[in-house]
Amino acid sequence: MSSAAAAELAEHVGHAVPVVRYERTRHEDHLSVVVPAGKVTHVHVPDHDAKSHLVTAILKARCEPGESLELFGTSVAELGPRERKRARTRIGAVSKVVGLVTSLNAWENISLPAAYHGRPSLENVVALAHEVLSAFDMAPERFLAHLPDELGMLERKVAAFIRALVTAPELIVFDALEDGLNPQECRRIAHFESVYRAHQPQGTVLYVEVKED
Amino acid sequence: MLQALREIEGGMQLSLNVMARLARLRKPPILESFLRQVYFTGVTAATGVVLRATALGVLIIAVMMNMLEADVDLAVKILLLLVFREVGPLAAAVVVILRTGTAISAEIAVMRVSGQTRALHYLGVDLYDYLVLPRVVGVMLATAALTLYVQFLAVFGGLVLSPFIIAASFMEMAGRLFDLFTPVDFGYAIVKSLLFGFAVAACCCWHGLNPPDLTQNSVPKVVTRAVTQSAMLVLLINAVFAYVVFGILFFGLVKANV
Repeated sequence: MSSAAAAELAEHVGHAVPVVRYERTRHEDHLSVVVPAGKVTHVHVPDHDAKSHLVTAILKARCEPGESLELFGTSVAELGPRERKRARTRIGAVSKVVGLVTSLNAWENISLPAAYHGRPSLENVVALAHEVLSAFDMAPERFLAHLPDELGMLERKVAAFIRALVTAPELIVFDALEDGLNPQECRRIAHFESVYRAHQPQGTVLYVEVKED
Repeated sequence: MLQALREIEGGMQLSLNVMARLARLRKPPILESFLRQVYFTGVTAATGVVLRATALGVLIIAVMMNMLEADVDLAVKILLLLVFREVGPLAAAVVVILRTGTAISAEIAVMRVSGQTRALHYLGVDLYDYLVLPRVVGVMLATAALTLYVQFLAVFGGLVLSPFIIAASFMEMAGRLFDLFTPVDFGYAIVKSLLFGFAVAACCCWHGLNPPDLTQNSVPKVVTRAVTQSAMLVLLINAVFAYVVFGILFFGLVKANV
């Protein structure tokens, strides 16, 4: 098989099993979301309630009545506690649903998952934090020692993004990424995707936004 | 009634969870949280109790002397039995409830209400490991240390200042104190203060994690309940200990030597 054919087959296989397949029926409203593996998907939902349900279902790897969810090709209804936990470790998010812990400074927030789980090493987390902060022209010494309440909205999102990157997620969810940012900050935050791609070339990106009529 | 049973069951589950997870204190973020708790409960509280604890011993002796017209023997016994065994641990527990109990219950309730506990859950960080274990163990040890500190200050204050009130020298009172002092006094106070610390921290953590609803209004309710129940638990433990030590145990086979 030629390399081009192999790539085509790999792409076909990747498309055959979406990373996320979500459906929600509430009254007469119906929301259906399919997120192909390795791609960037923008989902516009009608209201904040629908957004909250979608993001929470994905991050929890659990759905409520009226919802159905498949993650990485498996229905979450079939997952046991251990598989559900494993599925959650494959997902990262920059979202209000997974906000920063206000009693910990930015560095403690970023390093908490690595320090708790023992992987990756804190040296790797330091290197990652410095790399991302330099990509956003932020000085680590002025950023990392501050509590979340002392940081601006952009800085908080950068901290949440680094924390999400630490776990090397296969799927990253950007939930209302531009909320609370000015146009200049929105342009800067658009680099999240390329930074994520640099670390996870095969990763999947899901943007969730509210598009009110 | 149902609520009370639910709280008792929850408290017992939380206590068992803490005991089963003690080995996890070695994990760096949990150890750090534990050390912070010890510092907050033990070290920062210590400076505030110096004058109060010193005055405590003198005050109790002065009142007893006036009322009972007692001699050196009784003054020292009062210091030992009342100040060292009873008032010292209780005073330390009150400080811990007022400073640490309120802080723990409010902090965890705010985290719960604002979704920070949910964030920890999504990050795979166990709430018992990260929030409850270091606080409970930290408060236990810090309460024991604070109790020793309060006892020392109260007894020392009593010994130093009592000669101004009764006709006895410092050396005379100190000598009598060392004659009467037994290791049991020390062990009794330590075990009791460890239990006080455990009860206060477990009660405050449980209420923080289980607010009546997920609104900001529930935070003051949580703090009120946690502090009230902590105080009740401390008094209950104290009553049980007082009965065990001063009462006749095992059908009269063991009698406390007072």
